[in-house]
This record gives sequence, C-alpha cells and structure tokens, in this order.
Amino acid sequence: MKQFTYLIVILITVFIVSCSSGKKDLPVIGFVDYEKDASLEPAKNGFIDALKANGFEDGKNIKISYRNAQGSIPTLTQIVNFFVSKKVDLMATCTTLSSITAAQKTKTIPIFMMVSPTVKLMNMENAAGKGPANLFGVVEDLNYIDTSFSNILKFLKPKAGKLFVGMIYNQSEPQSVDAKKRIQADADKLNITLIALPLNSSADAQLVTQSLLSKNIDAFFANPDNSVFASFETIYKSCDQKNVPIFTSEAGLVQRGAVAAFGADIYQWGYQAGEQAAQFLKTHSTAGLQPEMVKLRKRVYNPALAKKYNINVPANFEPVK
Amino acid sequence: MEFYLTALLQGFSFSALALGIFISMKIFNIPDITTDGSYTLGAVVTAVMITHHQPAYLILPAVIVAGGLAGALTGIIHTKLKINALLAGILVMTALYSVNLTLMGTSNLPLNNFPTLFNLVQISADPNHNTFWVVSAFVIVLIALIGYLLKTDFGIAMRATGNSESMIRSLGVNTDRMKITGLALANALTAVSGYLISQYQGFTDISMGIGIVIVGLGSVIIAETLINWFRITSVWLSLILVLTGAVIFRLVLSLTLDLGVDANLLQLVTAGFVLLIVSLPRLRLRTR
Repeated sequence: MKQFTYLIVILITVFIVSCSSGKKDLPVIGFVDYEKDASLEPAKNGFIDALKANGFEDGKNIKISYRNAQGSIPTLTQIVNFFVSKKVDLMATCTTLSSITAAQKTKTIPIFMMVSPTVKLMNMENAAGKGPANLFGVVEDLNYIDTSFSNILKFLKPKAGKLFVGMIYNQSEPQSVDAKKRIQADADKLNITLIALPLNSSADAQLVTQSLLSKNIDAFFANPDNSVFASFETIYKSCDQKNVPIFTSEAGLVQRGAVAAFGADIYQWGYQAGEQAAQFLKTHSTAGLQPEMVKLRKRVYNPALAKKYNINVPANFEPVK
Repeated sequence: MEFYLTALLQGFSFSALALGIFISMKIFNIPDITTDGSYTLGAVVTAVMITHHQPAYLILPAVIVAGGLAGALTGIIHTKLKINALLAGILVMTALYSVNLTLMGTSNLPLNNFPTLFNLVQISADPNHNTFWVVSAFVIVLIALIGYLLKTDFGIAMRATGNSESMIRSLGVNTDRMKITGLALANALTAVSGYLISQYQGFTDISMGIGIVIVGLGSVIIAETLINWFRITSVWLSLILVLTGAVIFRLVLSLTLDLGVDANLLQLVTAGFVLLIVSLPRLRLRTR
C-alpha cells in the first residue's frame, strides 16, 4: 500500500504550502522570547499592557505573534528568521540572546528590546561606538548593581568585623560575568569579603549554594541571571535552612524569597519598551527613538523575611506586593 | 517561502554535524557525546579568529584541527584507558566547556561588522540567496570528500569496525587507531558545523552546543529510516539522505513555528511530526 504513504506525504506538503500563505492587513508585532521563565513572564505582560494603554489591542488593530525558543539557540534563529520573512512591522525581543539574534538578522525591521543590557555590554558597537540603527527599546547598564550590593550594609551588621557575602554567577552570560567583576570591585571598596562561585547550569545550583554556605557567609547576593532565575527556589531553600538572608537587584526575586532589592522591575521594563513600540505604531517612524535606560527602579523588601531576620528596613523601601 | 529557505540553510549547516554523528554511529553504534563540546569549539575558534581579523583560508583548517583534536582525545580516553565510549565523550565535552570559555574570554561574541564566509563571495544581492549558494557549494564538496573517504580501504575498514570489531582485528587492522581516527574525523565535521552556524546566525554563544547532539541524532535516525525503507546500499545516497534528514529536522520545526502552536506545545508538536515521518514506512493500510 505504497499509495497510502505517498498520499500522506502529499497531504503534509499541501498542508505546509497552504499554511505559509498568510494574509496581512493589521500591523504585526513579532515577539521573540528566549525561554519560559516565571520571572521573565511579566516583561511580556508589561509590553502588551503598554500597547493596550495606547489603544493597540491584539486582534483589534494589531496582531501580536508570540514565539518562544525554550532555551534553544537554533530555534531562536529560526523564530527571528520567521518574523523577518513574514516582514513583521516590528520585533519585540525579551532577554539578551533574543536581542542579539534579531539585531544580527535584520537591519531594517525596528527591534524593541527588553530585559537586555546596553548595546556596549552586548559587544554590538561598531568602531565608531554606534550600535545597529534599528535597535530600540529599553536597556540596562550595571550601575544599579552597585547600589543593590552596597545596600546590604544598610541591612546587616557583620558578625565578625568584616561582612562575608556569597554569590554565584553564570559563566555563560556576559552580563553575569560583568556584574561579578563589578561587585568584586565594590566589595573591595566597601571592605566586604566576596566569595563568588561560577555556575554553568541550574542543575548545579544546590551544590554551589551549599558550598558557599559552608564558608559561613553573612548574606547571599543573588545576581539576576538566567541560572539564578531558574534555580532561585533551591538557593532560597538552602539559605533559609542556614538563616542566611538573600539580597538581590530584581523585584521579582523578592516575591520569591529575597529580603530586599533595588533594581529594575521586569513588568515596568516591558511596559516602557511597549510605550516605545506604541509610539512607533502611531507615527510609523523611528525618528527620535533610541535605546533608553530603564526609568523606574524600585526599592522593595519582603516584610515576612525582614521580620524573620530582625532587619530594620530603611523608610524608602516599600513592601513587595 | 523565504522562511523555509532559512530552515534549509540551517539544515545544510547542520549536515556536517549529522555526517559526524553518522560516522561515529557507524564506528560505535552509539552517538558520540563529544559533539556538544566540539560543535561549540568550532564556533568559538571561528569567532575568535574572525574578530582577530585572521584570513578566511586559515579559519577553516584551524576549526578542522581543533575539532579533530577533541575527537582524538575522546578516542584515546576510550581505547587506551578503556573508559566507556559514552563517558569518554561526556568527559571531553565537559572539559571543552572551560576550554571554549577561556578561548573566547567572554560567553558571547557577536560577529556583526566582520567579513564572514557568507559575504566573501557575492553571487546574489539577497544575503539569504548568497548564503544558499555558498553553503550549497560547501556541502557538496564536503559530501564528495566524505563519500570518497568512506569508499577507500580505510573507510571500509572504519565502517566495518562498528559491524564486527573482532573480525576486523583478525584481518590485521588496528581497531584502536581506527576508532581514534574515526572520532577525530567525526568531531572535525561537527566543528565545521559550528563554523557554518556561527557565521550564519552571526554570533557564537558558549551554550550553543548544549543538546546539539540530539539534532544530529535526529537527522541520522530520519536518514536511517529512509535508508532502510528504500533498502539503500550506496554510500553516496546514504550521505545525501543524512543531509536530507538534517534539512527535514529543521523544516519540521519551522512548520511548527509557522503554524503558531502554543509555545508550551512547540517541542511536542515537533516531536509528533518527526514521529510521523519516521513511522511512515510502518503505516500500512491493512487490506484483505
């Protein structure tokens, strides 16, 4: 019954061809997400909410086409190519790798980045110090990390003369390695002993955290990178057992068990990028747009944990929702 | 259809990796896990040399040598230290992570503003079409070379090592050396895939090799299914089917992306399509 199998092959082919003849009438936004992650989810929601607030609603006057690469780089490349070939009106990229891939693949479609570092930190500047002309959106440098880290001194008094802080960083993420270098420099200035260990996959998180805790650290600094986001619950559980408070620079992690943070709010980050995208949709021009720094930073703390560790929180910190 | 062209280009770029897995499967009957590391190694060597303005004719040989060394190391650990082949591959792959990181000095190197293989020659104005011509020529040469190699006495002995090691040894072939050479060859091919992909996607990332062995394995198994289905004995056809397998694997993913299935179901639907393809020969209408 060869015919039957050939029939199936023909059907699939017809299926493929018929699928790829989409009509385009509404402006299309291609949203490129690199992975599924609870802490990153708010960026997309913020982006969509900002568009809505500006009168652009999915299915009404725009079409948002969402694709997630689930942590696979080849899939990410295909997603970006898919949007490029569909000639979407703009691309929204969440996290560094999505932004880099999109910037490599198109020089014409405007790209609105979120949860991404500055163009310089992504090594995307040319000799003249300029980034690609179609890159917009909202980026972050590492200055806020200094503040988050120095805040630890406001909350904790060292047990023995010097404060010992442990941290893990991910060698496979440029911003994580840069942040570690910066924090090391801050620690030297602030007379804090920093014990930093590398982590390359979230599977090793528990082991590395336990290793840090065995060195009698006073506090744990959760540097927000993908592996920390992915394995934060493990880190929290280990630190909680040893009564070691966690400080961070990302509000989402305070909800999940860190004591306090000063830094970007992922939802607001997406919202700010969405406002830029809305302006582009209104004017159909990128004039006056450029990558902006995150505007809204929050000082938040976790009341339950502050109580547990008897920490007096400065008045300018607000309880996390 | 432009989008499906990119899937085709990715498939072509992955075909070297698939050929590498094909060879290691022929020698050991198990996939070589070194792949995850040597693929990234190829991409890392490429990115480092491109960003240091090295001439293009030096980059490819360097990538081949680097990949070959990684494979030879796995072969030596397996044959001389009598370590299980899977474990030997895992050990070398794990060690290569640090090697790659040290070589790059950072975890991600974009290659924009640098000349790459795909803009050295201007055949067509459209960059995608240009890439297509370059990568096609590349793959044709590659398949011709590997096809020729597998037909030589050396190649036949290498393939037979996987079928019956004791028989080959009794014929006076040094099977240890065969395995080391075979693995070096397989990983050199894998590194070439990293070389192509990094230039095609425009950056090298330290984590790009994680799980890549699955891509090669999927391609080879699709090819094996077709080989068995059509009862193919020719080496040339087998190699072309491996290439086809790599392309099908990418095309299936693009189809899933194009359909716009829910992001959570992406992998499931892709797996479903691949299952459909490899089970085609088994689908028979029972008629009496």
